[in-house]
Amino acid sequence: MVHVGAVVHDTLMELGGPEPTIEQLRSFAPAKADEAERRRLRLALVTCWLFGERGFRSRDLGARALEFLSSAELRELAGLVDAAKLIGDGDRREELARLALRALGLRPDGETPAQAQDRLATVSSVEAARLFRESQAAEQRAREVREAMARKAAQEAADKAYRE
Amino acid sequence: MTDSDAERFPLLTDPGRAMLKRLREHPHAPRYTMECGNRVTADDLVRLQAFEQFLRETPLDWAEGALPGWLDAHLERAYAQVPAYRRRGPRPARFEDIPTIDRGDLSRAPWDFVPDDAALDGLIVHKTTGTTGQILRVPTHPVVSSGSFPLLKVVLERLGVSLTAGPGDVGVVLVGWQRKAFTYPSVTPQWGDAGHLKLNLHPDDWRDPDDRARFLDDLDPEIYTGDPVAFEVLLGLGLRTRPRALVSTATTLLPGLRSKLEAGFGCPVVDLYSLNECNAVAVARDGVYELIQPRLYVEILDPQGQPVSDGQRGEVTLTGGFNFYWPLIRYRTNDYACRIWRDGRPVLADLEGRAPVLFRTPTGERRSGLDVTYALKHMPLAQYALHQATDGALTLRYSGAAARPDQLRDALLEVFGPNQALELVETDLFATPGEKMRQYESDAVT
Repeated sequence: MVHVGAVVHDTLMELGGPEPTIEQLRSFAPAKADEAERRRLRLALVTCWLFGERGFRSRDLGARALEFLSSAELRELAGLVDAAKLIGDGDRREELARLALRALGLRPDGETPAQAQDRLATVSSVEAARLFRESQAAEQRAREVREAMARKAAQEAADKAYRE
Repeated sequence: MTDSDAERFPLLTDPGRAMLKRLREHPHAPRYTMECGNRVTADDLVRLQAFEQFLRETPLDWAEGALPGWLDAHLERAYAQVPAYRRRGPRPARFEDIPTIDRGDLSRAPWDFVPDDAALDGLIVHKTTGTTGQILRVPTHPVVSSGSFPLLKVVLERLGVSLTAGPGDVGVVLVGWQRKAFTYPSVTPQWGDAGHLKLNLHPDDWRDPDDRARFLDDLDPEIYTGDPVAFEVLLGLGLRTRPRALVSTATTLLPGLRSKLEAGFGCPVVDLYSLNECNAVAVARDGVYELIQPRLYVEILDPQGQPVSDGQRGEVTLTGGFNFYWPLIRYRTNDYACRIWRDGRPVLADLEGRAPVLFRTPTGERRSGLDVTYALKHMPLAQYALHQATDGALTLRYSGAAARPDQLRDALLEVFGPNQALELVETDLFATPGEKMRQYESDAVT
């Protein structure tokens, strides 16, 4: 069994701190964890492994890293993609790497901020899920309006003062 | 399912109930062909009163060479809420770079132009063919339909005609002249449930043709609205009573008929340029059309969709309007005019709207374009145009994959008689760019 809170603590210290408080680490050591929580914790571990990259060390990146590890975005990603896939699948690996870099305020060498953002949007599962939800909502709304119009077209309209 | 009076007239008062009874049971009343009401609720009435005040108090806030101040917020909201616009991606920085839309766009997917944040509970649908023969289902609302009353009232006030109809009076009578038409009695809640009628002056709609004058003289309406063909018939009835004004819509009112009607009725004859897509746009005054909607931007475009200079002729193109189910952006109307400036205000000159068209049958009887519209209204046509040659032969050009030529032929021969020469042509080409598409044309003498 891995104590995720301890891994997070050590990772943040490696990045240059500051040292997280017990309160800040509490969410990484829940008394009980359901499947969603376990997925989040597994993803937190993979992310810590990523943050363990030598080039990140001692660069005062601890606060940024903690913010990302505690973020709703990471929680949502964990719900969408299993941690194993974030390692084994090329696109998913790139997605996590880019999210982690953005969280630390960095970007891949040779990319402009716009290119980095554009590439992240392309591989982002969270973004794809958002677009899917939006397109589903748009389809649902279009269907509702179409159906309402068909229904109303068969009914009486309302009078007007003049013909148009 | 037929609605009840409670649904048609949610705010019906005792005088309103008495008025409906009078209009329905009058000994000289026509045979009404349908039921239709105002559907105005208490909330709607408040909105209509606010709309009337807005029309009175709000000037057109655009100056020569500039765009109106309200336009940016309209575009912002439309691009955020309307699927058809949002799908295009970010809004172009320059207004002139925003793509135009036309009747075909609205006809193909009318629901795509309904904003996401518009509640659908008050939705109603008006079906129309307009002048292009392209079937349009307009999503609208009782506030928008009844908005025609305050609009009319404010426009007439500016021309010196006050409307004061109240409980027990008859306000507006809309007249037509067709073989078959939808006709009904109604009341106008914002005018104390004054009577409102849609009538057909064709003798077939009446038990006795003389009932037309008896009925209308007894009602003594404050104004008549209608098209020039119907007004000519109205003039021929020899009414004793006099309205305060005639308001001509839907087709072009020619100056000769206008003078004749003014002399015959002893009242002003007002020509309103109005479209189903956005209600009344402009009113004729001193040789030009004055714009009447404070939140409707009018530009004139060339065939490539580029704005022309003021004074140059092109297609009337609209942005805005008060139908909140259809916030228009650069809608090309297929009507042609010049925009010029008079006393610091934009007006339309040389407006080429919809010329009234009469056809004749092989036996010499007259048929209006509306008769044809009525006959074809249930056909699955995307668009159609009917032309009558000097020898009386008809050509129907149409598009619509599901349309059956035998049914089209039957429907038209029902109007014109079995001996009518008729050719059917299936086509997608109804007008060349820059040319006004004409739904009805006749070279025959009627």
